[in-house]
Amino acid sequence: MALKQVSSNKCFEGFQKVFEHDSTELKCKMRFGIYLPPKAETGKCPVLYWLSGLTCTEQNFITKAGFQQAAAEHGLIVVAPDTSPRGCNIEGEDESWDFGTGAGFYVDATEDPWKTNYRMYSYVRDELPKLINANFPTNPERMSVFGHSMGGHGALILALKNPGKYKSVSAFAPICNPMQCQWGKKALGGYLGSDVSKWEAYDATQLVKSYPDSRLDILIDQGKDDQFLSAGQLLPDNFIAACTERKIPVVFRLQQGYDHSYFFIATFINDHIKHHAKFLNA
Amino acid sequence: MLKVKETYCTISNLLPNTQYEFWVSALNASGISPPSERAVYVTAPSPPIIKSKKIRSCENAALVCWESGDVNPVDSYTVELSKLTDEENGNTITESIVGIPNCEALIHLQPAQSYRICVKALNLAGSSERSEPVLIHTTGTYFCLNEDTAHPLLAILDDGFTIACDELENLECDLPVYDNSFTRCIGILGSLIPFPGKHYWEVEAEEDTEYRIGVAFENTPRHGYLGANNSSWCMRHIITPSRHKYEFLHSGMTPDIRITVPPTKIGILLDYESYRLSFYNADIAQHLYTFNSHFQHYVHPCFALETPGTLKVHTGITVPPWTTLL
Repeated sequence: MALKQVSSNKCFEGFQKVFEHDSTELKCKMRFGIYLPPKAETGKCPVLYWLSGLTCTEQNFITKAGFQQAAAEHGLIVVAPDTSPRGCNIEGEDESWDFGTGAGFYVDATEDPWKTNYRMYSYVRDELPKLINANFPTNPERMSVFGHSMGGHGALILALKNPGKYKSVSAFAPICNPMQCQWGKKALGGYLGSDVSKWEAYDATQLVKSYPDSRLDILIDQGKDDQFLSAGQLLPDNFIAACTERKIPVVFRLQQGYDHSYFFIATFINDHIKHHAKFLNA
Repeated sequence: MLKVKETYCTISNLLPNTQYEFWVSALNASGISPPSERAVYVTAPSPPIIKSKKIRSCENAALVCWESGDVNPVDSYTVELSKLTDEENGNTITESIVGIPNCEALIHLQPAQSYRICVKALNLAGSSERSEPVLIHTTGTYFCLNEDTAHPLLAILDDGFTIACDELENLECDLPVYDNSFTRCIGILGSLIPFPGKHYWEVEAEEDTEYRIGVAFENTPRHGYLGANNSSWCMRHIITPSRHKYEFLHSGMTPDIRITVPPTKIGILLDYESYRLSFYNADIAQHLYTFNSHFQHYVHPCFALETPGTLKVHTGITVPPWTTLL
């Protein structure tokens, strides 16, 4: 698979790069950001995958979150893919900001006209790591995942559906129970059809109920003044209740005064990087 | 007065650490001579008694204090320490610290060793016998619980490290109260941790025990509740009708945090250098919360119960590696 470098900027003695490639899962050109810490020049590093939220591209996280200093300090490669396939010319893909372009929801769609291209779940779980491991100095056994909002949902479902694959998981303001919120119902209905039982496989609160062991250590930060929290789109209480029942260790922090934005992410990103470094560098 | 025929005499049963004057007179049929010049001798002191219950130590140092064996002051003390090894002659003295003016010494030690420590008192006459030795293990930070700070309803069990509260009735009635004890919060302080660097200890609690555990300054108000003022920091666990509730209190404020797996063994890391106090679920190495505070003074570990129950404190634990990052 050929990678084309789109940009490269030196940052905290490492490099923040953006690459483009032809994706076989998504059948279109896809971009991703990758931060290579200084340690990557001389040795293999663990990889931390970041999944962005609705309307984002591969740019938002790498320019706004301010994670590079902590990533450099802890010797972690950080990969940030785009949030959906682009330029596929599917009718209706640009109609709303919470469905279609920029809103892949990290599922493998089964409905037309989405099922050919909208396979973000398989892209993030299989194609992207394979590509990263083949082209960069990675330690393939050491992989973790985190994200924001829709990406937080993506991170949680990837970790819960693949026990043991990710060493750690964390999230900022995740959509915890898409089956029960407006965003989720629209997206899951559109990509997977009206049979609600098919949605369960992509809902973190549902997946927790049948998670086989309890060796996951989850950190979640949620802004208390997040408009989407009060609008009932995120539903963390449902996820916490399910984790309490199943004895899955979670530390959930409700942060006073913080909203849904990258200002919130930037404030707590260091805590999340340290959380992952503890497991990735152990 | 002793009568002897020889020109020498041995006098025994003298008091230790005491100055004596001796003089001799000669006696014959005609009478007694004027007394000789006086000879002044001081007897050597008694060996000191180390206060073994009050020893505090960590991986790098120990604070040992003792009582003088005598009423009168001595000139100085000497501490002798020997590192215990597996060899036959493991009792060779490896270090002496001389000229100690008071009854305590801060001794620098190496981690993960065992030491035998004695103290000797010195005066003009020389040195006392060695005191009874104490053993110090530098596996981790050791402290004990200060009985005189305990709330009247709080009992320390025989092992010295488990605290228990049987009932919350009779809270208002006249119970014996010491000047230094907690009066409202059913709490107790551990001994001061006066060593720089990192210190780690664990507290075992049943799932249904409500508690406050953390650290406090010496002068934390005894009429107050741990965490409600600016001289104490603690993790608080209470049970509401719907769930376990956790607070991390300082100056009466707490962040809003939910924890899904109630810890039954809480690890507490005190890091004077990095200015932090961290709490962990030690059974699963899960980080719960960290206070970032520039402690202006050394602190005491503190413990309190809010329901009948017990808390068991474990000390002397090496700082676990999974605490280093967070």
